[in-house]
Amino acid sequence: MRPRDLIFLVVSNLRRMKLRLALTTLGVVIGTSAIVLMVSLGVGLQRSVVDSLGELGAATHITVMTGYEGITGAESKSLDDRTVAQFEDMEHVDSVMPIVTVMSVQELAYKKNSTNANIQGVAPHKLEEFGYKLAEGRFARTDSEIVLGAAVPAMFLGVFPGSETANQPSLDLLGKRIVATVVEYPSEEAYAQNPMTEPTERTYKLTVVGILEKADMGTDSSVYTTLDAALEYNGATTRRPTYETVTVKADSAEAVADIEKALVAEGFQTFSARSIQDATSQIFIIVQVVLGALGGIAMIVAALGIANTMTMSIYERTREIGIMKAVGASNRQIKRVFLGEAAVIGVFGGLGGLAFSSAGAALANLFLQSMIAASTPTGGASEPTNFFYIPLWLAIFAVAFATGIGLLSGVLPAVRAANLDPLVALRHE
Amino acid sequence: MTVAVDVRDLRKQYTMGETVLDVLRGVDLTIEHGEVVCVMGPSGSGKSTLLNIVGGLDRPSGGAVVVDGDDLAAMDDERLADYRRHQVGFVFQSFNLIPTLSALGNVELPLVFAGVARADRAVQAASALESVGLGLRLDHKPTELSGGEQQRVAVARAVVNGPAIILADEPTGNLDTTTGHEILELIKAMNAEGRTFLITTHDRAVAEAVAHRIVYIIDGSVVKIEQGGVA
Repeated sequence: MRPRDLIFLVVSNLRRMKLRLALTTLGVVIGTSAIVLMVSLGVGLQRSVVDSLGELGAATHITVMTGYEGITGAESKSLDDRTVAQFEDMEHVDSVMPIVTVMSVQELAYKKNSTNANIQGVAPHKLEEFGYKLAEGRFARTDSEIVLGAAVPAMFLGVFPGSETANQPSLDLLGKRIVATVVEYPSEEAYAQNPMTEPTERTYKLTVVGILEKADMGTDSSVYTTLDAALEYNGATTRRPTYETVTVKADSAEAVADIEKALVAEGFQTFSARSIQDATSQIFIIVQVVLGALGGIAMIVAALGIANTMTMSIYERTREIGIMKAVGASNRQIKRVFLGEAAVIGVFGGLGGLAFSSAGAALANLFLQSMIAASTPTGGASEPTNFFYIPLWLAIFAVAFATGIGLLSGVLPAVRAANLDPLVALRHE
Repeated sequence: MTVAVDVRDLRKQYTMGETVLDVLRGVDLTIEHGEVVCVMGPSGSGKSTLLNIVGGLDRPSGGAVVVDGDDLAAMDDERLADYRRHQVGFVFQSFNLIPTLSALGNVELPLVFAGVARADRAVQAASALESVGLGLRLDHKPTELSGGEQQRVAVARAVVNGPAIILADEPTGNLDTTTGHEILELIKAMNAEGRTFLITTHDRAVAEAVAHRIVYIIDGSVVKIEQGGVA
């Protein structure tokens, strides 16, 4: 029997049970939709969560901090130039950027506006190496020059990252002079001798020479100065500085996990957007499987529907099966005809379910987005989140799965039809 | 003439609970190419069982049925289906057409399972229907045809594969005398073209009208073979 004739036989058989076919297919449509909607919700949530985790930093960057004995069990280590050199020698490490976080700055002021953005001391050429991009201006050359994160000018006006509006006011700070007030608190010894010792204040005049492009949230809200300037603000006196954090750049995002493992084994604490994304993705795989399994219950009911329809239709067509056998149909050919019918129900149900769930997902997204837009003042500014997201693999899987369920449900009835005794079948009324 | 079907010591038993029913008790029968053989006997005599075994719809309990050199008893299900597809054609008392297919579709059916291409199939089926006088009713569904016409479609379906033998089980049993006579004339005409028939009937007039030989079966045994009206 030729494939085309098989299709013809299958289609002409299905055509005479239109209502039953429609109802059975509807069952598969519902089953497929349930699975697709459930899994797409898991995928959509995963995407929005993982995407927002991308705000934590670039995919190849690892932030290294000094470890605590209590956590790692290893000896606490400090981050200094020697450790930086060690990190640079590690496999898959592109570059290492030591950072001095200024603890003592009280305030940054421009005319009447002020803010208390985080000041980070970093070698300017390292910023370039680590992919920090300038929106305008240049990187610092002297200790009195600073580069601002993209969100800092707005912070002078009291607008913080994440609460931007579409048409917010901004300050043009490029080339402007900013006054940093550094507060030095008395040391513990000085305090012990005289509890009345006052903190001392120093001010520095700094020139804004560059403004960075928008990046992750931490970068956007930071001000970058040179390593030496930051050490000075912190009142460091030693020639062997230690760093609060060191950023390690891996040569690929895939190498991040291995480097992190090695650093943790050395007794450091690490943090990377990549490893958090990986861990989160793993959790979401479980969420998707659980949601998919819930949707699968509807599919099991649909499968029973197909098996029932096929069993009924084979019973009604017993005599025809006898005729087909008498004119030379083999058991295998009979089996194929009925399996084909079950598979077609699966394909139609899968395609219908995909169409239905795509429309449902789109509607649900619109509804949820408008709810969110209505309840948050900045709703229109950021990109709308798709809570239901149907990736291509899910679409293909849904149709293939429905077809597979159709075939599987048809196996028993088809085998029964194929094994009918032709004489018994011919006598069937 | 050469031998088309050679039935040797054919036995068939049905077991129904405790009792064993001997339906065929060692039947010997040879049918030659171009011959029309009628099997006569009362109901329950085993004539239909003989026909079904020769047609590969039923299996013998003992003995041999050799058609064009192949022994049916040695064939598995798949091979037996192939045998029905190519070497035999069936005509039933109750026509047994598929109600949703047109006359052409019904006649094409054996060719579909034989894997004949669509265009060739349509030509062969149409020519078979023409040869039974239904060249103008190709697209009619069985319900739109009279009993006689339905049986003609069944005959066309039986011959479309060019089988070694055509098996007809009471082919006129559901027809009135006139229409039945027309079917017998059709069988005679086809026999004149060289086709071989094995026909069961309990109507002596039918046997007299078409058969070269008439085989009498009672209680599963051949009791008499005599010349038919055509011989």
